[in-house]
Amino acid sequence: MLNPDLVALVLRQALKGGADFAEIYAERSRRRRMTVRSGKLEEAISGLDYGAGIRLFFGLEVVYAYTNQLTQEGLLEALETLLRAKGALGRVDERGAGGLDFRKTAPQGLHTPKVPFSEKDKRFRLERLLEAEAGARIAPEVQRVEASLQEWEQEVLIANSEGTWAEEKRVRTRLHVLAVAQDGTEVQTGYAAPGKSVGLELFELYPPQEVGAKAARQALTNLRAKPAPAGTMPVVVGNAFGGVLFHEALGHLLETTSVAKKASVLADRLGEEVASPAVTYVDDGTLPHAWGSTEVDDEGRPTERTVLIEKGILKSYMVDRLGHLLTGYPMTGSGRRQDYTFAPTSRMRNTFIAPGDKEVEELIAGVEFGLYAKEMGGGQVKPGSGEYNFAVQEGYIIRKGRIEEPVRGAMLVGKGPETIRKVVAVAKDWENAPGMCGSLSGMVPVEVGQPHVLVSEIVVGGRA
Amino acid sequence: MTLEEAKRYLLRRAKELGLEAEVLFQEERELSLRARQGALEEIKEARQGGIGLRVVAQGRVGYAYTEELSPEALEWALAEARDNALLADKEGLIPPGRALGSHDLLGEGLSAPLETKKQGALALEKALWEDPRTRSVLMGGYMEKEVRVALASTLGAEGDFRTGLAGMGGSLVMGEGASLKQGWDFQLAKEFHALDPGRTALEIRERTARLLNAKPLPTGRYRAYLEPKAMAGLLWVLARSLSGKSALEGKSRLLNRIGERIASEWVTLVDDPTLEKGLLSRPFDAEGTPARRTVVVEKGIFKTFLHNAETARALGQENTGHAFRTYRGVLDVAPTNLYLEPVGNLRLEKGVLITEFMGLHAGANPVSLDFSLQALGLWVEEGEARHAVENFAVSGNLLELLQAIEAVGDELDWEVMGAALGSPMVAVAELSFAGA
Repeated sequence: MLNPDLVALVLRQALKGGADFAEIYAERSRRRRMTVRSGKLEEAISGLDYGAGIRLFFGLEVVYAYTNQLTQEGLLEALETLLRAKGALGRVDERGAGGLDFRKTAPQGLHTPKVPFSEKDKRFRLERLLEAEAGARIAPEVQRVEASLQEWEQEVLIANSEGTWAEEKRVRTRLHVLAVAQDGTEVQTGYAAPGKSVGLELFELYPPQEVGAKAARQALTNLRAKPAPAGTMPVVVGNAFGGVLFHEALGHLLETTSVAKKASVLADRLGEEVASPAVTYVDDGTLPHAWGSTEVDDEGRPTERTVLIEKGILKSYMVDRLGHLLTGYPMTGSGRRQDYTFAPTSRMRNTFIAPGDKEVEELIAGVEFGLYAKEMGGGQVKPGSGEYNFAVQEGYIIRKGRIEEPVRGAMLVGKGPETIRKVVAVAKDWENAPGMCGSLSGMVPVEVGQPHVLVSEIVVGGRA
Repeated sequence: MTLEEAKRYLLRRAKELGLEAEVLFQEERELSLRARQGALEEIKEARQGGIGLRVVAQGRVGYAYTEELSPEALEWALAEARDNALLADKEGLIPPGRALGSHDLLGEGLSAPLETKKQGALALEKALWEDPRTRSVLMGGYMEKEVRVALASTLGAEGDFRTGLAGMGGSLVMGEGASLKQGWDFQLAKEFHALDPGRTALEIRERTARLLNAKPLPTGRYRAYLEPKAMAGLLWVLARSLSGKSALEGKSRLLNRIGERIASEWVTLVDDPTLEKGLLSRPFDAEGTPARRTVVVEKGIFKTFLHNAETARALGQENTGHAFRTYRGVLDVAPTNLYLEPVGNLRLEKGVLITEFMGLHAGANPVSLDFSLQALGLWVEEGEARHAVENFAVSGNLLELLQAIEAVGDELDWEVMGAALGSPMVAVAELSFAGA
């Protein structure tokens, strides 16, 4: 995308302007989205994102600029803007004079797709979407179905004044199906959306008609569900996307973005027992083809597997460059950003609770009256107080150790550090699922995951 | 190529290829200044722009966009848009266009010197610490955005406008004993000089401090008072159901209910893109339809969906000029400045005062309009806040909530969440609360 001489020139100019560290992140992304409703392709859009961000450190002060002009003029102008914004120009460093010897590493192709973005025509994609839609038509109550395919191929280049030169091509594909079921005046929805860092082989991993049927079954279940009961009760949280609970309640509290400012209730707690001993919590950016995996992070460092909590003991935070400068904790390859318009911050990649030794049936059997939160929607947290919430998309009552009638509209609320101590049992059936996570550096793809987990009590929002 | 050259290039090439085309281009300038412990921790200054294309080929519509303005990239976008149209099964049209003029809705609003803006950001962060209960400041500062939008089509549309916003705000954690609360707020204005860092910081502190030492709320049904910030969140969820596009896609419960009572008589909802000081006012929509005021709900009666040309035609209703599109997106419908009209019959008595809903994106279903949301608030008795309450969720259905509104305050407050959403405080007869 950019040649090394131009990159070196910009970085050298930045150091001359007084920066201690300079970084360029350049990106060219091609995206497509196709949406099918009622057997017709209704919307199709293709796009090309193209831009670069320049980040400079002056001590702990960060300045950031971005532009769509990836020419020498455009980049130097963005740099000038930054140096002007910084105000009184700093010292001129000797390093400004020399060249930069970039250490280029060849990508290993850990997540290279089998069927890349440019292969197969659009009709092939359309046919798969129609299969997904047909797959959802399992009952007359399913009155509307929307199936869409999201594809995205992102080429990034990250280079910095320490000689880092990293390039990566990231391909991601995701199928979304929304089913709307209606009966009289009652309307309910169901949703399924598998996604991976793969190409069109996604359809082999997740046959479209099965994805459609899954969304439709959920809509039908919700249609016959009663409003969820309200109150405090034990909750069995389903595996895979169930992990979103701990993504919100725990994961966000371990990012140095809030930890460095002591704006997390889990700041300064390394080595302490912060969770039930049943909990081992891992953030792994290296899982092959996972939705949140990359070979390098958006600061050009290799991603890694980071054990955050081991048997309840806090072992590590998620640390980006600025977080490292502020706290002294070693970087964990966790610097991520949505795109070139954001400076990176510490973010989760694929974060999950490791498998335990129980059978799912044992977890359910131990509950006298409670909620089985089989499938989750999204959620949110305030790291400074630990208060979190998340929605249950498909839930059932557990009575005398058995899963009984479906309930809808359940919202789980609580304080993360309290909930994570109340995890009393973890099953063996570990699985991950994809989602999009929004924070300071924008929306990034992440996986969340876990086996089935039993929490002794959570406030369940429903009809009182 | 410049954006202007790219626009001319695309219109010329579209005509050569026998396509009807509409070109939307946007240029944005962004400045943000984040302060931390008396120094600026992040300064961001940036420019971004791109071109969105909508083409009609053989009566069908397709989209593409590009931020790279080389001839190759423009040709790629044009070819993709045409392919997308030919594959699509949906009829589309680009409305006949006209000269729309050149409008400046921003003026000198953001022209203060950079140094003054930096001082504002630092002053705000400093003021967030001026309470012994402040434990940490997660973020504090200033941001501004200036946008130029231009529209042109092979059918004669041609116009542009410039607008922008300035904002100051932040997020902090306050503590008293073991009680911790994280609060935030953001004040937005069309002019830098309308912002007041000291006042904004004081409001954030007061809004957060009043939630400290909260007690659990027993599960039950209580009268609810929704502060403007909380009500604005619900209006944002409701806005999806007011969209003619949602109605067409079978995702609005309001389909076939025009003329019916959907809310109590105290509810009048208006969208007005022409408000002189409206945060998201605009002279015309994304298809070039001139802006005008639309009464959506009048004294509880549902009057109209919000429409673009396509949804209005498909439902046989009048176009309200609510076409919405960014260059990266497809044609949609969205409100601009949507507000609940003040009434002035609200008096605090007894119930839960809800200050903020959390998790709206997950806990409120825009199709069924069912919601189950975590909330923060205060217990009110004899017209006074007695103590804060926490760890509870509020559930119901938005249409039932609108029916149960029994009083509306007299002071309009605005939040920006996609659209500018305005509301006074609202009293709801009864809602279901899950807590301890």
